[in-house]
Amino acid sequence: MRVKRILILAPTLVGLFLLQSYFWVPTFEDQVKGDPGRLTRYIETSIGDASILNPTLAADSASAAINNLVFEGLIDRDLDLSFRGRLAEAWEIFEEAYLTVDETQRLPDGAPVTADGLLRYLERARAAGEPVLKLVRRVELLPGRSSVEQIEVTEPGPEGRKPVKRQVEVTVRQPPRIKFTLREVDQDFFAKIDRLLGGYVDRIDPSRFVKAADPIITRERAAELVPPTEHNPVVLFRLRKGILFHDGHEFDSGDVKFTYEAIMAPENLSPRIPDFEPVKAVEPLGRYAVKITYKRLFEPGFGSWTMGVLPEHLLNRDALRAEAIRAGRDPKDFSLRHSQFNRSPIGSGPFQFDAWKTDQFIRLTRFDRYWEGAPNLREYLFRIIPDLLTAEVTFYAGTSDAYGAQPHQVERLRHDPRFQSFSRLGLGYTYIGYNMRRPIFQDVRVRKALGMAINVQEIIDYVLYGQAERTTGPYPKQTEFYDPTVEPLPYDPEGALTLLADAGWRRNAEGWLEKNGQPLAFTLITNSGNDVRKAVMVVAQNAWRRLGIKVETLTMEWAVFINERVDKGDFDALILGWSMGLDADLYQIFHSSQTGHFQLNFVGYANPAADALMVRIRQEYNRERQVAMARRLHRLIAVDQPYTFLFVGKGLTLLDRKLVRMVEGADGTPLYLTIVPDKLGGITFHFNQWVKTAEPVLTTN
Amino acid sequence: MLSFLLRTGWKKLWTLFFISVISFAVIHLAPGEPSQIDPMNPRFTPQQLERYRKAFDLDQPLHIQYLRFYRRLFTGELRSFKDNQPVLPKIVERVWNSLWLFLAGTILVWCAAFPLGITTAIRRNSVLDKVTTVVVFALISIPGFYLAYLLIIFVVQTFHVDVIGLRTFGHQGRNLVWSFMDRTWHLVLPSVLGATAGIAILSRYVRAQMLEVITSDYVRTARAKGLDEDTVLYKHALRNGLLPFVTMLGLIVPGLVGGSVIIETIFAWPGIGRLGYEAILSRDYPIVITLNFVAALLTLVGTLLSDLLYMVVDPRIRLEGVE
Amino acid sequence: MMACALFFVVALFGLLVTKGDQPVLDPRQVRLADKFRPPLSLPNRQAVPIDALPRLGVYVLGTDELGRDVFARMLEGAFVSLSVGFVAVGIAVAIGIIFGGIAGYYGRVRILRLMSVDTLITGLIDVALSFPAFFLILTVVAILRPSIWNIMVVIGLTSWEGTARFVRAEILALREQDFVQAARALGVSGPRVILRHLLPNAVAPVLVSATLGIAGAILTESALSFLGFGVPPPDATWGNVLSDGKNYLFDAWWLTIIPGTAILVIVLAFNLFGEGLREAFNPRLRQL
Repeated sequence: MRVKRILILAPTLVGLFLLQSYFWVPTFEDQVKGDPGRLTRYIETSIGDASILNPTLAADSASAAINNLVFEGLIDRDLDLSFRGRLAEAWEIFEEAYLTVDETQRLPDGAPVTADGLLRYLERARAAGEPVLKLVRRVELLPGRSSVEQIEVTEPGPEGRKPVKRQVEVTVRQPPRIKFTLREVDQDFFAKIDRLLGGYVDRIDPSRFVKAADPIITRERAAELVPPTEHNPVVLFRLRKGILFHDGHEFDSGDVKFTYEAIMAPENLSPRIPDFEPVKAVEPLGRYAVKITYKRLFEPGFGSWTMGVLPEHLLNRDALRAEAIRAGRDPKDFSLRHSQFNRSPIGSGPFQFDAWKTDQFIRLTRFDRYWEGAPNLREYLFRIIPDLLTAEVTFYAGTSDAYGAQPHQVERLRHDPRFQSFSRLGLGYTYIGYNMRRPIFQDVRVRKALGMAINVQEIIDYVLYGQAERTTGPYPKQTEFYDPTVEPLPYDPEGALTLLADAGWRRNAEGWLEKNGQPLAFTLITNSGNDVRKAVMVVAQNAWRRLGIKVETLTMEWAVFINERVDKGDFDALILGWSMGLDADLYQIFHSSQTGHFQLNFVGYANPAADALMVRIRQEYNRERQVAMARRLHRLIAVDQPYTFLFVGKGLTLLDRKLVRMVEGADGTPLYLTIVPDKLGGITFHFNQWVKTAEPVLTTN
Repeated sequence: MLSFLLRTGWKKLWTLFFISVISFAVIHLAPGEPSQIDPMNPRFTPQQLERYRKAFDLDQPLHIQYLRFYRRLFTGELRSFKDNQPVLPKIVERVWNSLWLFLAGTILVWCAAFPLGITTAIRRNSVLDKVTTVVVFALISIPGFYLAYLLIIFVVQTFHVDVIGLRTFGHQGRNLVWSFMDRTWHLVLPSVLGATAGIAILSRYVRAQMLEVITSDYVRTARAKGLDEDTVLYKHALRNGLLPFVTMLGLIVPGLVGGSVIIETIFAWPGIGRLGYEAILSRDYPIVITLNFVAALLTLVGTLLSDLLYMVVDPRIRLEGVE
Repeated sequence: MMACALFFVVALFGLLVTKGDQPVLDPRQVRLADKFRPPLSLPNRQAVPIDALPRLGVYVLGTDELGRDVFARMLEGAFVSLSVGFVAVGIAVAIGIIFGGIAGYYGRVRILRLMSVDTLITGLIDVALSFPAFFLILTVVAILRPSIWNIMVVIGLTSWEGTARFVRAEILALREQDFVQAARALGVSGPRVILRHLLPNAVAPVLVSATLGIAGAILTESALSFLGFGVPPPDATWGNVLSDGKNYLFDAWWLTIIPGTAILVIVLAFNLFGEGLREAFNPRLRQL
């Protein structure tokens, strides 16, 4: 009966057709057998898609992962974290320092100050062997000039209204200046000159050089217009020759200058503007050298030159205008952010962009003309899988080559023979921050006691499965700035009670701590969606409750947490984490000037000694001195306990065991070496040497 | 035939209008004034609201808003909050991907529901019937994502093969046949999962209809006339029970479209379900609101197709024209 | 049917046993030392403080990622999941009765001489049927504040069509019957006729669709939890427990299997119950 037969046949056929397709698809083992091409591809999974493939504009980690392969910066970090030249072959750091000639003063020998007189005095001092002048390589005299300028001032508004901005006309009479070119950067140069000249530098009064009808121009404002002294650190990069962008165009100093300008252009809305704001000028010196002058001492600025360099010939104003016209849009409204370049980038890195299917994958292929030699891997695939469990399954199935294990999986996966694992300590830390504007937290004994009541080791052991380490201060443990001799707070609830008693907090009838009739009570907040912080919150609350402190807890969505509570300083205590960089600069987080709304010192920490240290640290270009000061700062902050420093998380990255490094041996045969982690535990340092072999025969490293 | 076509078309147009109104009305769930913003709702900050109001012309009277919204939508002026690209092209390219899932799912439902329903109806109360009933009900009752994970893990652990995404990664440049088979394999698991609910419901329906028809008078007459069992069942009983199935088929399309959110997220399938979910997470409201409309539109098309099929199958309608 | 009754008992018991600050079985107690303990395992008496030990001396269904007793959480969640189902379906049924009743009884009344009430309402029902409910639910939940009430209301608002159709069909069938004519002749007002005379006869299919609706609501809630838009903490629902547990599938399978199976069993029970009701109410099939 025909209908019956159709009814039986149809599903059977469909079913068989679908099932047989299984036999065409390669399995995990087939990866090696069936398609040799698979061995030259590296597949990575990510939960989120990249947003902008332009290193000057991107702010998310997915985009960063791709940008690090497609673009290259002037420098990057070596295995031991020191700087290494990439697009730059070598560099020199020195300083140009400027001193104002103040003719109203006298020299130590009594003669009135003139430009020539000052120069001769200094020359005589140098000949006499004055140490500070040994730094000076060259001395020049710059003539003075006068100008009339309009500057903007802000005054407080009438009766508490918004501040008002006004234009004020000033006459600036810039006296001649002496320009010192120093061999190295010395933040104390002018202090020493001042001693040499008997206090001359200190007595320079900038308001003498600025004339304004309006008395609002203060001495500080005048000092901005006519600074008595000025430090202009200079970095001179010598660039490698013969480096090509992926389209064959040669890289030169013009591209460096263009990258800087692209970042600073306000219409591009680059998130990197603060990193480059201290730059005064980027000057190409011929095609293969560039001189970068800074407005002031700012040592962390050097590290920003790991920023990927953009190809100027594809993104300059003419190119953008042509693109706008081609797209039928108004060139005036068309900035770097709108360019198609961000979806199809061209850089000078080891891998070049091939394809990007939104929410599916991004494919990069190896760049054969890469200056250091083409990478071994032929293709890099960045696959977007939004679900964590599915990503894990994909790794087990062999269709992705790396997986970041979650803490509870570490034990199980670390010894799995199919994979090789690398453990690394993170660069950030988790802490409990206390709002020091609240009276209860103003006593350091209270803060210390709160920290002593929490058993951090227990959190590490049970919440993080041992995948974390205690930290005692604000620097990453892997850097030299962290002082390993600073002891962590002991877990000592009894001691905590004693400390609190010293501070005047005694147990009342119900068992709660109280002072002058006020109970010790506050609210601890953190963001939702983070299991670890949730657990820390619970542990802290319990620990403090046992001391007799009534703590309420509250979690809220990230945006509300940051915008309504943290940025406005509206909290008692919070649990948060910092993701740190590799430089020593803590200014934004702990300096007392950064305690306003939307600034990062939201706990309101203000310690003048720490402030001074922080300022000197960011101006210190000498490594040893900087490390010594940073360690002192670490100790100081640890004593002050504005935070209870908790822990640094560890991560375990799993790789397919077939991934190894391949280099050419002395006789040209390939040598296989294991992948080595760098000082931070990252494994991608030798990424260009990675290769996937069926049966690796490893030579010892 | 023609009059049926016209009537159906007219009804569908009205439905389209109502769908557009409802999709539009959802916009107004958001707080109207900044003062109305619930501070405990993290999803709407004052800045968000500003953007929202501008994108949807909330300052204008209602009917202007409605017209403007749809005009903006179709001229590509309505842009996504996330990357500022026009909304409609983005959605259309993802619809293509989801369409394969829906198609495969519908085919599976069609192929599996009938035999299952008929067999269990014929062999009512047998062991097969009882077992099938329990299994079918279990499939309706299990949470979709739970079943999905169980299946994924089972297939991956046992067969060591990839099931995520549109196709196998790391393999390009193979011939067309291989490519087609690869995509087919990756279509299997997600569409099977999408079809389970439909198969379960529809096969029960087939069974119920068949049972009703089997006991009816004219079938008894046919049996009495001495026709063989097969002809009785398949020619007479089934033909008349066929009509409601077609309508029911139209009703599983909304289930497929709605279920695509979870299935696509789990299988990393770049379709409209996943687009909607990610748009909601990133507060990309133009996409979210438009997706509602597009999803309803797709369902409408699905039901229209099933109505057309109905027309083909129902002899009364076919003959209408003749008369 | 037995399963449903049992479930009600369990849910109520669960509610009693886990509510309050010092409940019999505490679902909120965090025991960091005893995370991911499998079912029927004994607590680690050295590491867990005495006041945190499980009341029954053993972790009946294991512990989750914070050391909380899964059994206690499931009991707490039972009540919440059930209430989500009931309230949502209650809303759906109420709307369905209103629409279906109006369509059935006043069907022929024409509005503005354009179309009859019946056509309008059936049109609405068609629209509601073809609207992919899940997308709509997701949109609404994403715009509004996350709360258990919003979810219940939204699920209710998107699942009234079935009830409406049944009610309408029943009323259409019964409208011309004698007892209805008699009531009208006596001057009983329209709504009263609907409520007191017609609806009681429509109870059967409404009950069936309500039971099936509860099952569907529980499933929808668990799907929303999976996507992260479900009932917010601290309320625990089975959907929450299941979606929290899925991250640990390979390491703590019981966190997924247990709530998943529980949902499966309960929804299955409701579905079978509904089917049973349907077969019971259908006279024709009873004969065979």
